[in-house]
Amino acid sequence: MLKGVHQKLEPQQSPAFFVRGPSPFSRMVFFCALSVSIMAADARFNYLSQVRQGFIAALHPLEVLANAPSEWTRDTKKYFSEHNRLVQENYALKEQAFEQQIKLQRFNTIEAENTHLRTLLNGNIPIQPKAILGEISHMGRDPFTHTVVVNRGSQHNIKAGQAVVDSKGVIGQVTRVYPFTSEVTLITDKELSIPIQIERNQLRAIAFGEGNNTLDIPYLPTNVDIKVGDKLVTSGIDGVYPSGLAVAIVTKIQQNPESPFAKIVSTPVADVSNHLQLLLLALPDYKEDELSKVAPIETTATKKELSNKNTALIKNKAKANAPH
Amino acid sequence: MRRTSPISVYLSLLTALLCQLFPWVGQGVILRPDFMLVVILYWLLRSPNLCNVGTAWFAGLLVDLATGSLLGQHALTFSVTAFVALTYQRRLVLFNTWQLLAYVFALLMIERVLILLLKLFEGNENPGFMYFWPVITGLLLWQIMILLFGSLTRPKTN
Repeated sequence: MLKGVHQKLEPQQSPAFFVRGPSPFSRMVFFCALSVSIMAADARFNYLSQVRQGFIAALHPLEVLANAPSEWTRDTKKYFSEHNRLVQENYALKEQAFEQQIKLQRFNTIEAENTHLRTLLNGNIPIQPKAILGEISHMGRDPFTHTVVVNRGSQHNIKAGQAVVDSKGVIGQVTRVYPFTSEVTLITDKELSIPIQIERNQLRAIAFGEGNNTLDIPYLPTNVDIKVGDKLVTSGIDGVYPSGLAVAIVTKIQQNPESPFAKIVSTPVADVSNHLQLLLLALPDYKEDELSKVAPIETTATKKELSNKNTALIKNKAKANAPH
Repeated sequence: MRRTSPISVYLSLLTALLCQLFPWVGQGVILRPDFMLVVILYWLLRSPNLCNVGTAWFAGLLVDLATGSLLGQHALTFSVTAFVALTYQRRLVLFNTWQLLAYVFALLMIERVLILLLKLFEGNENPGFMYFWPVITGLLLWQIMILLFGSLTRPKTN
């Protein structure tokens, strides 16, 4: 009898009250594996940009709701801003517009002359970049990256890779495009590099973001002709940024006796924290085709690929021109 | 045993997501607690039948989408943290308030360190001590959760 009871109890099953499905450990292992594979798919193969776009579009109403309070306060602030200040601003802006109009008159004639000369020389006529005005809706939420989110997206014909500027200079590049918003990576971000030229002596170099609010120009010898206060402008070599836009001003040059290279630190001239409006410059047509083929997020990689392609093209041309 | 309605779970998670989406500026970005994590930990510890590792994983995925970081990062750390939280979940009744707070502190710390490791692996620079502020603000948020939805420790009986 007693033996029978023991036999009954032997396969000890926990009562239904305690049953919780698969154990937390097995669940954890399963979900870890799942997230690792998602990370790999996102980082390596860029399969998930469509999924991400869909989700962001679904989250858009929530985002609008979350942004609403700050927008209300901004609007009320605008409403109550003093009459006096507005009048002064209006006056200053009129003056500025007048000055710029005079400059523009000269610019028009010079531009006409320039295109004329270029046609005479059979050169390419530089295309005027089209631009879309956008407004910063908020800073990026990831504290590790330097990004801002702009209220223009694929619905407004924004494409990844476009250059973004403000009235003072280059801000950065569009790296991710969502239906109604897009993410702009600032030139101070570690991932972004920008081909520049020293305005004073036309020396070409590449500036890299440092992750804090500065840019670094590495791999230049200690005796390079750069001074504190030099202005860096875009060189236009990459085809993404139109040439001649202000980028940064050199603020510090350190010469370390142990290193053959000078440490050149410069601060960007564009100030994203002070205003909201910025311009998204359209890509040149040939760039657009090529960028649409490659993954939109890895902009630095695409640049490398493009430059490789360009060199390959040049080589092919050289071969074709070579006498047989 | 206290009853928990699934509606309150999902509503609080939605609110947490909304807070995560809120446009934080300046000091706010540094001080911002992990809303989703704190809320999901509360429900994990309170009613593991409604919320499990899978829910935490999904919440992490939403955070990834909201922050625009690499997809799956927060999902990974959230599910690991949820697992650690669940291992001691049945012993929580023995804890007093301070022990529970220490436990939550440890959990938030685990998640932060995991994210930091992933980010360093990705090639980011060490952000310094400021990076751990959200743990402290997360504990404040935890107290708010307890005020709103009730304590997790056993009420004192004489």
